[in-house]
Amino acid sequence: MYDIGREQRLEKYDLAHATVREMLTEMKDISEIMVDLAYASIMFDSEDIADEVKNLEEDMEELSKNIRIKAMLSARTHKDANKLSSLLEVAAASRRISNAAGDIVKLIECEVDKRPFLTFILREAEEKIKRLNLTERSDMVGRMIGDLGVESETGMRIIAIKRGKRWIYDPEEETKLKAADTLIVRGTDDGYDVLRSYANGEENWPVYPEEEEEED
Amino acid sequence: MDDLDEKLLELKDTSELMIDLAYSSLLYNNKEIAEEVVLMEEMLDELANDIQRQAIERVVQDRDEGKAFTVIKLAAAVEEISDAAMQIAMVTIHDDEPHPVIRLSIKDADTIITLAEVKEGSDLVGKSLGRMRLASQSGMWIVAIKRGRKYLYGPDKNAVIEVGDVVISRGPPDAEKYFQDLCTGQERLEEP
Repeated sequence: MYDIGREQRLEKYDLAHATVREMLTEMKDISEIMVDLAYASIMFDSEDIADEVKNLEEDMEELSKNIRIKAMLSARTHKDANKLSSLLEVAAASRRISNAAGDIVKLIECEVDKRPFLTFILREAEEKIKRLNLTERSDMVGRMIGDLGVESETGMRIIAIKRGKRWIYDPEEETKLKAADTLIVRGTDDGYDVLRSYANGEENWPVYPEEEEEED
Repeated sequence: MDDLDEKLLELKDTSELMIDLAYSSLLYNNKEIAEEVVLMEEMLDELANDIQRQAIERVVQDRDEGKAFTVIKLAAAVEEISDAAMQIAMVTIHDDEPHPVIRLSIKDADTIITLAEVKEGSDLVGKSLGRMRLASQSGMWIVAIKRGRKYLYGPDKNAVIEVGDVVISRGPPDAEKYFQDLCTGQERLEEP
């Protein structure tokens, strides 16, 4: 019933071997990135991002089905079942968040001229979703997101990267940044300013003495 | 921004705070925080109704039914997020002790929640959150402050941290230690 793309997408979750714990973590992570991506799709009027949200919604459906099955199989006693039922309740809540994100991206299909006010509102949110370009002068180029510690350093979370025509959604720690990448980020205004100064090469990425990390 | 825009923004920001608080309540088995999520949900229900009613009233005036439709749809979706937060909070309220796997799963997530008591000598004491630029400096976003027996939920940039406050924050796993050390005073904030 799914096309190849669908199966390939699901491979990364390794549903056959994933534990209930791993699946619940995955569902929490996906539901949260979906909300950010959903707002980003509206702000930047991006059908690509909206499509990814729809794909993630389908992934969540699969995860949700699989976590239920795993949980049922692992219950031995009434007490087990009782505790697992609240675990499934949390899973259901994250699925609900993902459905809400799916509803938000449907707004992209509404008349375009009815949405500018939304972009305007979202620009005023406590944590904002913004875009910036990585120039070749930046010393972030060629380094991995996790090595840089982009989020802990600036408070900005990279939720997607546009590289040429391709998109990388919810990039991994191991994802290397490249010159001319467009980063879609979420965080505060001052975090954005800091990150932008690194991304356009005005400032160098801070270096901390090695020994501090090897303490304790 | 007009009144309706501001309400929509409040709805969005609060729904996100509720999710953070709901997971915090589970992680620390804290029924008080969970109860707050329930209260917030009731408030957001009202707010969403208000927004939807106001959007319809506007159509009568300006005939812009496209905008009203967008507002109503968005408000409904955001309300759904707040319902999900409440669903999580209800687990905390109903269970004596949530399933240990739930906590482990929350701890393993890309975004973690951490709690720390602010000690004397910490750089966090006495300055407003906005001035410290805490989020960009430490990577952690404060979702609640417990002062004595009272909680301050979703503190704004004017909030000032005091010695003895217990701070619940959210952020990437690799920022947790620095944040904890900032609270105890073992680490210093960089001067902006």
